[in-house]
Amino acid sequence: MHPEKTSHTFEPKVIAFVCTWCTYAGADLAGTSRMQYPSNVRVLKFPCTGRIDPVFILKAFQQGADGVLVSGCHPGDCHYIAGNFHARRRFAVFRKLLEFVGVDLNRLQFSWVSAAEGGKWVEVVTDLTERVRAMGPMTEFKELALEEQWSGVIDTPELKEAFSQI
Amino acid sequence: MTQSIDTSSYSAITEAIQAEAQRVLGDGTVTAVIGYAAARRKGSAQPIVISQADDAARLIFTPACVNNLAVYLTKAKKEIPRNGRIGIVVKGCDLKALVGLMGESQLKRENLYLIGIPCSGVLASTIQPDTELTADTLASKCRECDAHQPTGCDFVPPQLPVAPELEKKYQAEISRLEALTPAERWAYWKEQFAKCIKCYACRQVCPFCFCEQCLCDRNKPQMVETTPRPAGNTAWHIVRAMHLAGRCAGCAECERVCPMDIPLNLLNRKMAKELKELFDYEAGFEVNDKGPLTMFTEKDDQSFIK
Amino acid sequence: MQKYISQQNFTALLDALIKQGTRVVAPKLNAGTVLYEPLAAAGEMVADQLPRRSGKEAFFPLCEEIMSYEKTGQQVALTDIDPARFPETVLIGVRPCDAAAIPVLDAVFSWDYKDEFFLERRRKTTVVGLACTTADDACFCTAVGISPAETRGSDLFLSPLVGGGYRCESYSDKGEALINSHSALFAEPSGAEALPLAEPQTEKFDLKKVKAWLDEHFEDPAWDSIATRCVGCGACAFVCPACHCFDIVDEGTEKKGKRRKSWDACGFWKFTHHASGHNPRDQQPKRYRNRIMHKFKYYDDKFGQTLCTGCGRCIRLCPVGIDIAAIVEEISKKEV
Repeated sequence: MHPEKTSHTFEPKVIAFVCTWCTYAGADLAGTSRMQYPSNVRVLKFPCTGRIDPVFILKAFQQGADGVLVSGCHPGDCHYIAGNFHARRRFAVFRKLLEFVGVDLNRLQFSWVSAAEGGKWVEVVTDLTERVRAMGPMTEFKELALEEQWSGVIDTPELKEAFSQI
Repeated sequence: MTQSIDTSSYSAITEAIQAEAQRVLGDGTVTAVIGYAAARRKGSAQPIVISQADDAARLIFTPACVNNLAVYLTKAKKEIPRNGRIGIVVKGCDLKALVGLMGESQLKRENLYLIGIPCSGVLASTIQPDTELTADTLASKCRECDAHQPTGCDFVPPQLPVAPELEKKYQAEISRLEALTPAERWAYWKEQFAKCIKCYACRQVCPFCFCEQCLCDRNKPQMVETTPRPAGNTAWHIVRAMHLAGRCAGCAECERVCPMDIPLNLLNRKMAKELKELFDYEAGFEVNDKGPLTMFTEKDDQSFIK
Repeated sequence: MQKYISQQNFTALLDALIKQGTRVVAPKLNAGTVLYEPLAAAGEMVADQLPRRSGKEAFFPLCEEIMSYEKTGQQVALTDIDPARFPETVLIGVRPCDAAAIPVLDAVFSWDYKDEFFLERRRKTTVVGLACTTADDACFCTAVGISPAETRGSDLFLSPLVGGGYRCESYSDKGEALINSHSALFAEPSGAEALPLAEPQTEKFDLKKVKAWLDEHFEDPAWDSIATRCVGCGACAFVCPACHCFDIVDEGTEKKGKRRKSWDACGFWKFTHHASGHNPRDQQPKRYRNRIMHKFKYYDDKFGQTLCTGCGRCIRLCPVGIDIAAIVEEISKKEV
């Protein structure tokens, strides 16, 4: 019953920020129901999507994530009544900001997955993983992390090249 | 030929501010007035806090009066004495910031005495302070100002502001960037953010950056690298723009003070544009106790959510 | 040694240096702002504007790695930076106010501790100063005893001539070596006149009198009127050619990371914030007082120099119009 594993040259890292009440339980259901989904996803559990600070998404990309998923309860189902409504507004704005500074929004997915939707979890995670896989690694933030101010640089590649040409 | 901007009313405005400040300090309405005074360099101005009626004659209003003085009323600025009512000289854009601070329960209207300025515009940041105000030397924010005449103040000089129709530079620049590919936009901002030296002038002059401990100054956990390297700079500017989304009043102080000329207000204007489109929100002269990101409706757009 | 170099040969000199692998740092336009940066070609140099940041960056980087660490199991591997890897540099087109600040910095970086990060870069850098022909009303180098033709700090000094080209005068072995390494590009000095120098309008400060007042007035109501308006950013210190405070932070994860050194500023609230929560400089005027005290008193006490060369950058760039020249002038008029 296990589909055959295909091997890929690029295995993307996908970080999923999920709320404990709905999506985490939904992912759990997928697991206990023995549904298959890509092991590329690393799940981080939060009390509520309302607790997921946009800076976490930024940090995930900076630390090497190729894709980020934020998922919580459907509107009206929030354990804390309105956390996901607040999150919805915040993320609507934050994704526009990321887009404006040049992040490809195909790497960032938001979803509502309830405790009963194991199947939807599998679908959301698989979709995002395959989409990111097709896009290749997220290099922008990683390259940025390696950059120094010119004055702090020692042995620059340009210098090395210049020396080698002498 | 460069279109000049008529600032002939500014000397009458100066006189009116001086007279009003003298009156309210003299009769005890206020304990202090925050305004602008002339400084050493020709034509320059700087913020001043006066508490004696005799000092009212030092107050001025000129095209070099660029600061948003609202920053001195936030809890981050403990140096300004807080007893009784305080008078403050405000342009329309500055008033929007004060209104925002009132909405965030940082200030009470009854503790303020607002001296409004019918403002035709001020100079851009890189211009020598004694330069004549023209369409070229005008601050970019003033080109798209919708608040030349502040309302709801305790006193506004009777002069009327002039507001010629000028090309809106921020709007044009936002459209230009939006039309680029993500990779091109990333390259643009990377170059700009790389210049950042983390002097935090943008944060320190912002009326809305009143947190006693900024997230970006913390190191446990360290959400944003504190060193002025491209990585930490980019994170800082994204966090800053996000924390101001739905709060920024558009005074553009961040961009004016940036010693490295990073177009910071572009990020704020972009956020303002999105908030207008998404939630029909705009910074204005009316106090709202809930900002667009501290409230919600059940019908909010969720087309981006699976 | 005095020589002449034509504009054309000057360009050729820079190109030759770049080609041989020397890092040539000069005023250059970067995303709309003139900064001292490494040139890729001589044509990038912008000679007619004072760069927004000072030349100190060539020796004292905005941010640099000083060590890295990596943990494997119980083992921690530490890797130091080898100063021998710092590139040979020619810092060219340096304004007198920036160049004069370099010997001032030498004093503090080679005092009780020899800071190899600074000193090795210093050894490997040849400073080529450029006489100043324009000034605005924020410039006040003459007020602190420097002139637009000040050669202090320069290994080689260029004076632009009427009709193009520069008169070059060497002031050290390094300057002479630079001329000798490309001697074909230099000619004997011509009789051409130098372009008229800039004339900053500020009157000369009586720095002794200023210090005498500062010696006695650590506590004074004047500080409140001077600096209540200060908003506590680091712009003044970061654009200053002489400010040299830095912070050291570890960045990375528990497993792997780098220790970095980056510029700090006494205007920041965090600068003197103790781990206990106490802050001896709890209000902004106390922090600004430190700026003035350090520049015009403490540095003089310790090294017999003034920590200000009058470039005027802090005046132009202060968000709230604080004018150090006006403040020092005011202090110099006070009764001691």
